[in-house]
Amino acid sequence: MAKELKPGQRRVTAGSVVADLMIVAWFVFSLFPLLWMLLLALKNDADQTSTYFAFSPTFDNFVTVLSQRGQDLTSVDFGQAMWTSVLNCVGAVLVSLVVGVPAAYAAGRWKYRGSENLMFQMLSFRFAPELMVIVPLFVIYNTLGIFDTKVGMVWVLQLVTMPLVVWILRSYFQDLSPELEQAALLDGYTRIRAFLTVALPLVRPGIAASALLAFIFAWNNYVFPLILTDSAATTVTVAVTKFLGGGGQAYYNLTAAAALLGALPPLVLALTIQRYLVRGLSFGAVKA
Amino acid sequence: MTTTVGGRRPTEETPPGGARAGAPPRIPDWRRKARPYLLSVPAVLLIIGILYAFFYGVYYTVLDYAATNPDPQFVGVANYREVLGDPLFWRSAGTTLLYAVLATGAETVLGVAIALLLNRSSLIGKTFERLLILPLMIAPVIAGVIWKLMFNPQFGVLNHVFGLGSTFDWLSRDRALFSVVLVDVWIYTPFVAILVLAGIRSLPQEPFEASDVDGASWFYMFRRLMLPMMWPYILVAVIFRFMDCLKVFDSVYVLTQGGPGVTTTTLQISAFQDSITNLNYSRGSTYMFLLWIIVFITARYLVGVLGKAQRRAAGAGV
Amino acid sequence: MATVELTGLSKAYGDVQAITGLDLAIGDGEFFVVLGPSGAGKTTTLKSVAGLVEVDDGDVVIAGRSMRGVEPYHRNVAMAFESYALYPQKTVFDNLASPLRSGRTGRYSAADQQQRIDAVTTTLGINHLLRRFPRELSNGQRQRVALGRVLVRPADVYLLDEPLSHLDAKLRAQMRAELKQLGEMSRTTSLYVTHDYQEALALGDRIAVLRAGRLVQVGTPHEIWRTPVDSFVAKALGQPEINLLEAEVADGRLRAAGGAVDLPAPRHLDLAGGRARLGFRPRDLGLLRAGSTAPVGDVVLRGRVGLAERLGRLMEFSVDVGGHDVIVVADSDAGAREGDVVDLHVPLTDVHVFAAGPAGEDTVRLGGAAVREPAQERS
Repeated sequence: MAKELKPGQRRVTAGSVVADLMIVAWFVFSLFPLLWMLLLALKNDADQTSTYFAFSPTFDNFVTVLSQRGQDLTSVDFGQAMWTSVLNCVGAVLVSLVVGVPAAYAAGRWKYRGSENLMFQMLSFRFAPELMVIVPLFVIYNTLGIFDTKVGMVWVLQLVTMPLVVWILRSYFQDLSPELEQAALLDGYTRIRAFLTVALPLVRPGIAASALLAFIFAWNNYVFPLILTDSAATTVTVAVTKFLGGGGQAYYNLTAAAALLGALPPLVLALTIQRYLVRGLSFGAVKA
Repeated sequence: MTTTVGGRRPTEETPPGGARAGAPPRIPDWRRKARPYLLSVPAVLLIIGILYAFFYGVYYTVLDYAATNPDPQFVGVANYREVLGDPLFWRSAGTTLLYAVLATGAETVLGVAIALLLNRSSLIGKTFERLLILPLMIAPVIAGVIWKLMFNPQFGVLNHVFGLGSTFDWLSRDRALFSVVLVDVWIYTPFVAILVLAGIRSLPQEPFEASDVDGASWFYMFRRLMLPMMWPYILVAVIFRFMDCLKVFDSVYVLTQGGPGVTTTTLQISAFQDSITNLNYSRGSTYMFLLWIIVFITARYLVGVLGKAQRRAAGAGV
Repeated sequence: MATVELTGLSKAYGDVQAITGLDLAIGDGEFFVVLGPSGAGKTTTLKSVAGLVEVDDGDVVIAGRSMRGVEPYHRNVAMAFESYALYPQKTVFDNLASPLRSGRTGRYSAADQQQRIDAVTTTLGINHLLRRFPRELSNGQRQRVALGRVLVRPADVYLLDEPLSHLDAKLRAQMRAELKQLGEMSRTTSLYVTHDYQEALALGDRIAVLRAGRLVQVGTPHEIWRTPVDSFVAKALGQPEINLLEAEVADGRLRAAGGAVDLPAPRHLDLAGGRARLGFRPRDLGLLRAGSTAPVGDVVLRGRVGLAERLGRLMEFSVDVGGHDVIVVADSDAGAREGDVVDLHVPLTDVHVFAAGPAGEDTVRLGGAAVREPAQERS
């Protein structure tokens, strides 16, 4: 192992070939379903059940998913659902940032009574079963008239986005020497300006990472929109599942196309921010 | 270096601004002390909003609230007695635990193995590393949809590729639990692998080089050096996975709705069926509250274990 | 342009008492050094003056005004942090311009800023670094930028936390020589924290010695060096450390090291219990050349050279005197070699007499073994 730990010291041995084969095996398992979805999504209605790998590709399914016909099949406007998801997630992340950045800063800078409780409360949201709050929220939302609205979704998605933002950013603020802000105070800047001009720019990677990760997880959430929305504020995750039960007849190719469309934004985002993801995924517990 | 500054000394004159004019403003002590609290107020308010719903849910557990009973009465611990006396609850709890143990176990072993393999930084490993994260970023419910299509006995690609014919049912009574675990493994093994890989890469190199010089075997180094130092990272991954498994819903629900029968009915699916499908809110809430207690206790315990391991690893890392 | 007074200043971090009941009065324009080992509370003292730590008790008075409840940015003090605290996202120029742009240190046009920064960077020899980022600098360069950020602005008080600690030895000596002569330094009240006694002696108008958060002694470098208040201060100043020997009074004599050290018991001191502790600074001891006699009024110690180490022009000898190692720093042409039996001599006025005490504990200084005549005074 130690030999392999050092860069530039690689030899082709039986062991290294076996290791490479194992890696390849994993990635075949890991990537095949995605590849298969792509193939399925490119098949026409006839090919979808008659052939596995040889067919003439078509983009019709993507068009259909987003068209009136898709809406007729599933009673959900898929394009509308995607747009709703975008608005919900952007809204939820923005609210979490506005609310969470000051809280993360306070928790990262001061040891004050209740700060640890607050942080643990946040963490417990991450691990709490969603249904615990959903049933009462269902009643509350109906009372407040925010059932099946974007406002309602943005609020409930805080359960997903807030813990991420607060925990990740606290770990970034903790890593930042308080003496930098102290220097700014002595330079004559107020605490707010010291925070805005010194601390905040230095945790920009943390803000980007937590915001994008929060966006991804909010996008991927299924239970909240499943129960707290109907048709007006349906999100993409719910919309995808509607294709599965498409009125008796199976539309595998359409389902695959919808699944791909729903999976695409998180995949693209993840590949662009991969560098920062590790720390975010572990809530700052693992720093890479 | 000169002792004077080119004929003009930088700080010759007093500041022309109003810095010295008048007594400096004072900020009372309480305002100073209130700062962190003020910064947390918005977050706390938001939490209170959610906690309100939570406690409302807890309140439901002592009522007989259901869609069929819009005027609920206080029933004390009747719901708890009913749920705890219900074989389905224990069956669901057992299924959840089995799911969590199987999935977390498989993901940990595979994830650590993948991390070790990728750490060799071979050409193939480097090529694929960027793609490792992909399944993890897909919504679990969409992952469920994808695998449901692949599991399809007639047209699914799995039976075709493995030559299983059109009668082999991946989601049959005997296999359904293992199949939903397989999907969990597909989604979340990268999570373990990514965390552990980051952990390995942050380990100090010196101990390995030293024992390499001493001629220690690979296995010895792995067991005595690498594993103890990696342990906290593995634990973080295990904790996150185990806790998430306890409340698994999305992928299982879309694959099987808890069936066939109750073979894949986890606690959260059970609660969903009670409160959403059957509209018995109190019973569903009782399920959830019991699950919440389990999650909470497990979390406290595992976080304690993690703290211990981190301290030990800090010692081993020197 | 301000006096600074600390009255009864106390600060604890959890269970750790960083400073306890600290009283200091620093004069207008004074260059005041706070000396102490790590953990003595030096940085806490500076940050209390700056308003960066909230003290538990006591008050800081700057220019006659109590600073209780006054925010750091209203105190008009500048500080160089030991960690530099340079803004990593800003260039050296922008770091230096930061205090000039806040509007609280005065109003400066772009040209004013440029001029001030040019002047300071020329003084500190860093004007070729203006466009670099802190991460592209060596520690010594960073330290000079941090110092520059202080000097570039007018302030009532300059607070300098170990500003030379990361420079290499040569540059440190050079900077030490020049720092005090900097025009702005000589006019602005400065609080300078260091653990290096040479810096303290070289720079300080006055020195305060701190130990474990308490003030031990305040005085001019001369006072601190000549009349340390106790053995802690005596040990803190001087490298190698002062030699300490336990002594007993008998028959009007003060004897130590089994009689190898023997001097008249000083009558002007009250040696309670007939015991005392003697201190000789390695530099005050001399090696007696063969055939010559010690000056009148000197005490002579005979011993065997155990170790002779060359420090350049000087040599450090470890001499076994009656079973105790005594360190001597003397000219290398003294001629003594390892194994030689030598006589050491020291003027009685340079023999420090401390109260007796348990081993390892510091005790107060009672006085010199002989009263120094004004004419003998050396500086």
